[in-house]
Amino acid sequence: MLTRALGRTPHYVVAAGLAVIFLFPLVWNAWASVSAQPGTAQESGYGLGNYRTLLDYDAGLWRYLGNSALVSVLTVALTLGVSLLGGYAFARFEFPGKNLLFLLTLAILMVPYATLLIPLYVLLGRLHLQNSLLGLSLVLAMFQLPFATFMMRISFEAVPRELEESALVDGCGTAGALRRVMLPAVRPGLITVGLFAFLAAWNDFIAPLILISDSQKAPLPLAVANLRQQSMGAVDYGATEAGVVVLAVPCLLLFLLLQRHYVRGFMSGALKG
Amino acid sequence: MGSTTGPRGPVRRLAVGAAAFLAAASLITACGSGDGDSAGGSGRTADAKGVDDGATLTMWTRAATRPQSEALVKAYNASHKNKIELTVVPTDDYQAKVGAAAGSHDLPDLFASDVVFVPNYTTSKLFADLTERIDALPFAASLAQSHIKAGTYEGRKYVVPHTLDLSVLFYNKDLYRKAALDPEKPPATLADWDRQARAVDALGGGVDGTFFGGNCGGCGVFTWWPSIWAGGEEVLNKEGTGANLDSATAKKVYDTYRGWVKDDIVAPGARDETGATWTGVFPKGKVGVMPMPSTTLGLMPKNLDLGVAPIPGPDGGRSTFVGGDAVGVSATSRKVDQAWNFLAWSLGDEAQVNVVAAHKDVVARTDLAANKYSAADPRLVAINQLVADGRTPYALKFGQTFNDPNGPWLSMMRDAVFGDGASLEKDNKAVTASLAD
Amino acid sequence: MHVKAPDRATAEHPPPTRPADRSPRNAAPRRHSRRIQGLGYAAPTAVFVTVFFLLPLLLVGQMSLDDWPLLAGDQGVNAPENYTDVMDSPLFWPAVRFTLLYTAVVTVVLLGLALLLALLVQESRPGAGFFRTVYFLPGAVGLASASLLFWGLYSPTTGPLSRILEHLGLVDDPVSFLGTPTSALLSTVFLVVWKFAGFYMLILLVGLQRIPHEVYEAARMDGASRGQIFRSITLPLLRPSLALSLLLCVTGSLLAFDQFFVLTKGGPDNSTVTVVQLIYREAFQRLNLGTAAALSILVLGALLLLNALQFRGLRRSDES
Repeated sequence: MLTRALGRTPHYVVAAGLAVIFLFPLVWNAWASVSAQPGTAQESGYGLGNYRTLLDYDAGLWRYLGNSALVSVLTVALTLGVSLLGGYAFARFEFPGKNLLFLLTLAILMVPYATLLIPLYVLLGRLHLQNSLLGLSLVLAMFQLPFATFMMRISFEAVPRELEESALVDGCGTAGALRRVMLPAVRPGLITVGLFAFLAAWNDFIAPLILISDSQKAPLPLAVANLRQQSMGAVDYGATEAGVVVLAVPCLLLFLLLQRHYVRGFMSGALKG
Repeated sequence: MGSTTGPRGPVRRLAVGAAAFLAAASLITACGSGDGDSAGGSGRTADAKGVDDGATLTMWTRAATRPQSEALVKAYNASHKNKIELTVVPTDDYQAKVGAAAGSHDLPDLFASDVVFVPNYTTSKLFADLTERIDALPFAASLAQSHIKAGTYEGRKYVVPHTLDLSVLFYNKDLYRKAALDPEKPPATLADWDRQARAVDALGGGVDGTFFGGNCGGCGVFTWWPSIWAGGEEVLNKEGTGANLDSATAKKVYDTYRGWVKDDIVAPGARDETGATWTGVFPKGKVGVMPMPSTTLGLMPKNLDLGVAPIPGPDGGRSTFVGGDAVGVSATSRKVDQAWNFLAWSLGDEAQVNVVAAHKDVVARTDLAANKYSAADPRLVAINQLVADGRTPYALKFGQTFNDPNGPWLSMMRDAVFGDGASLEKDNKAVTASLAD
Repeated sequence: MHVKAPDRATAEHPPPTRPADRSPRNAAPRRHSRRIQGLGYAAPTAVFVTVFFLLPLLLVGQMSLDDWPLLAGDQGVNAPENYTDVMDSPLFWPAVRFTLLYTAVVTVVLLGLALLLALLVQESRPGAGFFRTVYFLPGAVGLASASLLFWGLYSPTTGPLSRILEHLGLVDDPVSFLGTPTSALLSTVFLVVWKFAGFYMLILLVGLQRIPHEVYEAARMDGASRGQIFRSITLPLLRPSLALSLLLCVTGSLLAFDQFFVLTKGGPDNSTVTVVQLIYREAFQRLNLGTAAALSILVLGALLLLNALQFRGLRRSDES
């Protein structure tokens, strides 16, 4: 018993040492956001001065949070909807153009983000979706599709065929089979996809920068970027750190909350490579 | 997911998608043909005051000058029927934002711009022609001419000054006293500056002589060029297509800075300073004398006893870089008269004195250099008066040559000051090539 | 298109005991119907990909052939000038070289560490779940936020790292984390590894858990050492997961932008300019959409080629 415990010590030392390194930046940032720094709203002592700066900035923190939440929810919904149906199609159906469409979807990963945005901006204008949070969500959802479709495809493939067939035999159409049998089976995959879409939409900066031109509609990352560089060359480190905290906390919470399902999504999808 | 919508969802989506596809397909052919006429409302109504009829106007500004723009907009909205909706864009991304919007004729009614980028916008016809309106202003002659010049293209005027930001020397009077220097005698020549910086630096104990942003092209332009101008030398040709940055005067300036680096007169971090924090060093009270943006004067700690002086040349003289933002009406705006109402008001006595000067900012009119607010702080008068001696360089390729962190000017700066300065001629050619690109 | 699969449960065809599609009489119409249904389910994806990806991509293609200043719009065809201009730019080849170097360094360090992490948390030791969470936590922070966070962390004025190192006696002078080409590269790599190691750990973990226990048992019975087991069992059986990680990591690193945009802006002395930064610079500093588009098309082509090669290489070695 003792020798086994000793034998494991290095393991725990390495694991714990790495854990400290992984946690340190997050902890430091949280601490720095409430501690005193010259040139910030928190000149002395500990306090929430930097958060107050954030709260009152321009259209106000709540507005930005609301916009971010709306964009994230829309993006998650769009991503889930499209990738659920698409993943089902790719996993269980044969249809003309299937491989081409799948490869095209994956190819989205290979295009530099910034370049597509200008044409997308023009295009959204034509669709009357410019400067709209829905338009932004459509674009963000598109960038989620490679991962989401891939993930949902393998999630569906991992569901035993017999399960679906028995539902079909029971008189369900494919839609009924999808809803009654397949949907519960791929739920972990959906949670993984949804979480990823949320993280991406919540944190994205460049797409809203180009696509949204109204402070009232700006999501939080844009406001934090605005706040960072104030008058010529002066940087408000405190407000930046507070902004990072406000941006990160919902993501961290959601991740912790969904963690079990999320890991299972990876496992059950059994990423085949 | 409704209960029966299985395949129907996709069908509807397909239909919507097909419509979208067609709409989008037309764009590829459609956006090739730009709509040509963008003359704006140049001389239709040369009414100097514009129209105040309760219109809603949109306006963009960059984050760096948000406080100034916001103060003006707030005061205007409070006293007029027109309402301005101000949108602030991150400073580093302002070009990207304007560029994206310009491509699809989607600019706001009014947009401000870092004055050095204005030529890009005037030559691309993004601004409406304001020539007659500007000339009709009773105080037209006393507007900051360097901004007006930067916004003049083919003889037409497109912008007016919005916020002014000048480079001036800040010096720490406490440190001057400790170093047995006269706190009322700031440097009058580059040699003075060199001597005084070294004297302060000799105090030791974490005190340094001077500081500059050594990895920041914009900082170099803003703080080094005034010394060259003050020495009577040009840095760019008139068209902004050629550089003269390897002149004897320029060399004297670089040599002085290189001496500071070599002898460690500069506060730590100058070599890596990308411009993000360069103004944060002086307020800590450990630097003797350095060039700073005039807009930071109001932000300095109250207990810091600082003096302000013009940036001198190698053998005297004085100059400044008149930076900041200029503002114009976009060529696609349908509310030129209303937008002009704001611009004309923003330059009037009331706005300039009770908004701009009250916030300790530099007024856009030389005839208001001395006003009731600046009277309380002689340093402000000194800065306001400098506007007339200052310059705003004009070059179409300014940003990509001088501000771009990967552009040729930053390489030149760093070679000249951190290297041995031997490659000046070659570097100057690279700058010229970029300007003429 | 609301065609139900010809119902197997109609009067003519009493419910078969075996799934319907195996009955020869039904096969053809059923296959036809399933094709249509498949198309229906894939339609939203197809619409998305067409409208929001292919169409813009076509426009990018057109831009790359035209003289297209950002502010003035399309000025007509000038091909192949944009492509030659891009290749002639003095920053182009250094950027390609740096991007490849960065990709190589990140891939090796990131996947190496991710494998170590996966091995550390694979078994159900007490605390494994905790460590798994901790290692993955940075992945929940956005890349732009993470870059801002590290920008503060590395800052010579407010950052704590330099002071800590001085305190520990590891260095004498303040460290300039972004000041030299090498330190800027390593500092950025550190950020990326911190942010993404947990994600790749998870992918590798999936692979590790699919290796049957019996294989290890058998090897242990044969008296294999831990190193031998790792080399001759773990690594080969982990290949599919490693391949996926490699693909994602290489593609992502070749397109690196945010981290450099926030942390280094390509400095010092242009030593950390990546290819995507060049694209951004062409479009928004030099205001030339044409050359930016040309560069994007080149990058897309290179990535497609690289991924095709990678796929083929992996498949071939799988067969052997």
